[in-house]
Amino acid sequence: MKKLGIDLGSREVKVVLMEDEVITKKIKLSTMSFYRDCCSYEGKITVDMNKLGLNSVDAAVSTGYGRNNTDLKQFKPINEIKAHVYGALYQTGLKDFILLDIGGQDVKTVKVEKGIITDLDLNEKCAASCGRYLENMASILEIPLENLFEYYQNPIELNSTCAVFSESELIGKIAEGIELGRLCAGVNYSLYKRLLPILGRFKGRKLVLSGGVARNKALVKYLGDNYDEVIELEDPQYNGAIGCCYYAEKIIFRNKKLEESDNEF
Amino acid sequence: MKKIGITTTVPVEVLIAAGYEVVDLNNIFITSEDYGKYIETAENDGFPKSCCSWKKGIYGVCMKHGIGEVVGVTEGDCSNTKALEEVLKLRGVKVYPFAYPQSRDIDDIKSSIDRFMTIFGVGLSKVERIRERLKQVRHLVKTIDELTYVNGKASGFENHLYQVSTSDFNSSYECFEKDAASKIIEIEKRAPCNKKIRLGFIGVPPMFCDIYEYVEKFDAHFVYNEVQREFSFPRCDTAQSIYEQYLDYTYPYDLNFRLKEIRNQLELRKIDGVIHYTQAFCYRQIEDIVIKKELNLPVLTIEGDKLNILDSRTKLRIEAFLDMLSDIKEMGT
Repeated sequence: MKKLGIDLGSREVKVVLMEDEVITKKIKLSTMSFYRDCCSYEGKITVDMNKLGLNSVDAAVSTGYGRNNTDLKQFKPINEIKAHVYGALYQTGLKDFILLDIGGQDVKTVKVEKGIITDLDLNEKCAASCGRYLENMASILEIPLENLFEYYQNPIELNSTCAVFSESELIGKIAEGIELGRLCAGVNYSLYKRLLPILGRFKGRKLVLSGGVARNKALVKYLGDNYDEVIELEDPQYNGAIGCCYYAEKIIFRNKKLEESDNEF
Repeated sequence: MKKIGITTTVPVEVLIAAGYEVVDLNNIFITSEDYGKYIETAENDGFPKSCCSWKKGIYGVCMKHGIGEVVGVTEGDCSNTKALEEVLKLRGVKVYPFAYPQSRDIDDIKSSIDRFMTIFGVGLSKVERIRERLKQVRHLVKTIDELTYVNGKASGFENHLYQVSTSDFNSSYECFEKDAASKIIEIEKRAPCNKKIRLGFIGVPPMFCDIYEYVEKFDAHFVYNEVQREFSFPRCDTAQSIYEQYLDYTYPYDLNFRLKEIRNQLELRKIDGVIHYTQAFCYRQIEDIVIKKELNLPVLTIEGDKLNILDSRTKLRIEAFLDMLSDIKEMGT
């Protein structure tokens, strides 16, 4: 049985194919090219499976940034918070944790107890604590994002709340001749500081990190001071799409089987 | 008829036998359209912001309605209640003590109720006569409870309302009896309305009652109201005396004793998930750690403070919890 999960993020679309609870294919493409090259509009957004290099699937589930564009034809749309929780349940096997998902434009914090959501929070008005901020800062520093993620020691202070003001603050520090490592650490630390007020309400022992920003080693290091254990998912960016597959496995197939057995009688 | 205020469930049989009209001050506070004014009165008189709203509400009711006599529970309730009683005494309110002995021992509860009867000058036989009479009314409330969890006809809110009202029987058990009897007739005529998710409400009665209707939007309903049910003494038939009745009452005693009954009911009522209501600044918020650990079902802990309607954040949390609970039910795990 093949299950397809699609997570339509603000920056990238993540596609996961799962067969018998094993991930067999992962595709990542820009949100722009996904809608432009792989979809058509027939009243509802229709995904061209061939263009994704996929044949037919038995169940398809979608989630993503905002509800409107996640309602794909022949896909069952699910709430993105739930999708990420299911992804984390599948990837960690844990039942009790705090999930911090940092994507391109949004931050989700979810408390999971006994495998079920008991608390959640989302950023609403500002995206200065998200991936897009790090991308902008890396571009100012003219280094690849992955390099930026390495530095955590001796960070410079960046105090602006606003991501745009932070850019000019960073440029000021560059002009002062501060070494690159401290500048990068400063960027990572400023992101961490913006996350602290959000995390303050989510106390727990284990923190699971998902979303693209989970690859940020400096952030993982900083968060280690707040939690007993910080767990980086193996596939942090695919977590939402994996959660969709997990949902398809646990709910859609089960319901199908029940329907089939009902029909037999 | 002389009026006496109560701050929680006490042996109401004794007070009725003594000829009092019993008024649960919590009910006056929470059912008032302008309930906030009672809190304001208390805060103006020095009650801190970081104090349970129920206590402030009770104080406000005493002041605004000129309640002259109150039963103060000295054991089996919180330290905030004790401090409230001190302030009430200062304001000239006569406070009669009653204790639920923490030993939960029959001899100790006997001494406590005997003392209570002596204070009000009533004998055991009269109290037992009243107890027998009230049992008839309690049976009606038990019927409403069954109409909720067995028949799916009474709503979670009706279940809450009738059970919570048994602390003072709305100041007249005869009127309450008539009301409950006609309510039962009305409910019995309804078609069952069984929802997908069966919820249990545990913890003190909530500040916000719209929670009962809110969960119904998500195909869920409350079929168990823990503390409210305890107020109604559902096991009163097995008690041989007033002493045994007030011994077999979970709310004021230790948590393990309370959990035992909760577990029984969760199983009996086929509950899928539990919502644990806690009051801001209440010591019972700490007990939540034990409750979550000891119950094998998903537990969502919510907190109320002053607001008498659900806030948007709590609504979002309830929605997410019920959404996953619905999935879990479909998964059959």
